[in-house]
Amino acid sequence: MTRRAAPKDLAERLLSGPMVWIGLALLTAFALGPFIWMFLTSLKDRQELYATPLQYLPVHPTFENYIDAWTSPVTPFSRFFLNSLWVCSVTMVATTMVSVLAGYAIARFRFAGRDALLLIFLATQMFPSVLLIAPLLTQWRALGLIDTYQALIYSNFSFTVPFTVWMMVGYFSSIPRDLEESAMIDGCNHFGALCRIVLPLAAPGIAATAIFAFVVSWSELLFAISFTTETSMRTLSAGLLYMVGQYEVQWGQLSAGVILSTVPVAVLFSFLQRHLIHGLTAGAVKG
Amino acid sequence: MTMLTLAKPRTRPLIGWRVRKLLIGYSYLVPAALCMLATVVVPIMLAIKMSLYADILYKPQDYRFIGLGNYVRLVEDPVFWLTLRNSVVWVFGSVSLQFVFGFAGALLLQQAFTGRALVRTLTLLPWIIPGVVVGLIWEWLYQPNYGVINDILIRVGLMQERVAWLSSPDLAMAAVVFTNVWRGIPFFVIMLLAGLQAVPDELYEAAHVDGAGVFARFWHITLPLLRPIIVVATATRIIWTFNYADLIFVMTGGGPANATQITSTYTLLQAYSSLDFGYAGALSVVLLLVMLAFTWLYLRTTKGLEDTE
Repeated sequence: MTRRAAPKDLAERLLSGPMVWIGLALLTAFALGPFIWMFLTSLKDRQELYATPLQYLPVHPTFENYIDAWTSPVTPFSRFFLNSLWVCSVTMVATTMVSVLAGYAIARFRFAGRDALLLIFLATQMFPSVLLIAPLLTQWRALGLIDTYQALIYSNFSFTVPFTVWMMVGYFSSIPRDLEESAMIDGCNHFGALCRIVLPLAAPGIAATAIFAFVVSWSELLFAISFTTETSMRTLSAGLLYMVGQYEVQWGQLSAGVILSTVPVAVLFSFLQRHLIHGLTAGAVKG
Repeated sequence: MTMLTLAKPRTRPLIGWRVRKLLIGYSYLVPAALCMLATVVVPIMLAIKMSLYADILYKPQDYRFIGLGNYVRLVEDPVFWLTLRNSVVWVFGSVSLQFVFGFAGALLLQQAFTGRALVRTLTLLPWIIPGVVVGLIWEWLYQPNYGVINDILIRVGLMQERVAWLSSPDLAMAAVVFTNVWRGIPFFVIMLLAGLQAVPDELYEAAHVDGAGVFARFWHITLPLLRPIIVVATATRIIWTFNYADLIFVMTGGGPANATQITSTYTLLQAYSSLDFGYAGALSVVLLLVMLAFTWLYLRTTKGLEDTE
């Protein structure tokens, strides 16, 4: 570069200096403020919680709300937690197996209706789950699946499978075909080549996609409240809502419950942020 | 099959390798196809069928075919039209503000500074937590007597009295939209940040050398190059927000007096609370048609963008 850059104008100096810092501070405060408030609330006892004027910081921080929420017989948070863990884990494993096969087939085989199929998987990602509640409820009732884990797990497929298939197609397409072809010349069949060559190469992407399926199932609310009636079958989301419906709202316990349900997804997400963001934007950004 | 080929070694195998490869391909698709069939395709058919019947769960004796009866009810239902209007406010308010703040956030997070990765992760939090959690957090923030929002606004002198944000018909919609904005900003930050990072630095440098100011560079370089991703992000967000029922369902249940009732929460309540599956079916078909129209528009627009590139 022999030419010198033009001097910075006033707007640019302002925008690159103090404005950036003020903006960043505001952005972070806005995103985190509600969480911090909820966390502070969860540490307060009843008296501090409902003090007038409002008491911002807990003077005698206590973990009682967490213990109460976890062990409460009316709204057994530990049970909700385990239900969610089971439903989301099974959804995750099953979704991943199904979408690895489908994603591989779409990425590697040319067949009639391939584009149409891809379009269906794209369109169903946008699908409103409200629309499915009445028909699925009828369907699960007919099959006697109300108040079972199966009903929740099967219903979750309606939104996890389209998304994960779509992401898998992307991962598999980016792996060169030559590797599999040479493996097949050496005597592997298609399935062998998939297991020994392709899966190890796509492993990071598959793991990220699997965890994504877990995270979105963790948030699922409408199926969970519609297809279960017993308290012992409620997932975290449904259980939190159920806590609100009981007598008066126990904001202490509820805030503890909110923090407990947030932590697992926040931790999982921070691990695979990079992968997910890549997957989410891959279709949108070109070049 | 092996036996067949052994018996007639000289003729072509019964199933050629090309066909066999196709069959293998199709067999890999079977599990995914079954999943979609059982949880999406069949339920949609069922919803369409339901919409043609008087089908209220606790009145099984009234179950009968009524043709377009539910759709006639829909057209004559003033609440349905109200929910469509509310949906427009909900979608437009949420998406436009998410876009503006998301764009500002993306421009900020594009700057290089220490701790950027941490700030980026933290600001994404509102987007990844369950909708019911978002709803409950904000219900507590908006709480009339013990909510921190009232307290802060009174302390800084912007308000004289405590306000019941979620139970006042004039404020409830603004309150839920604001919550949805909080939740959705990170989506636009992610998408637009990815777009910003794909813009080559040389373009900015060249424009800088030619004397273009910071606003001119934004207008003539950043915006045009980001157009495709802006269209994709906004369109997917519009469809998603239109269908999104969790937040309003948790915070207000569509109330007070249907002030925050949008079409998707109305559908949910018909199926979940009223157990009126016929009417819910008709509403579902309407949601489906709106979604298909949006998706068609979206595909057409993005196709147009590809063609011009």
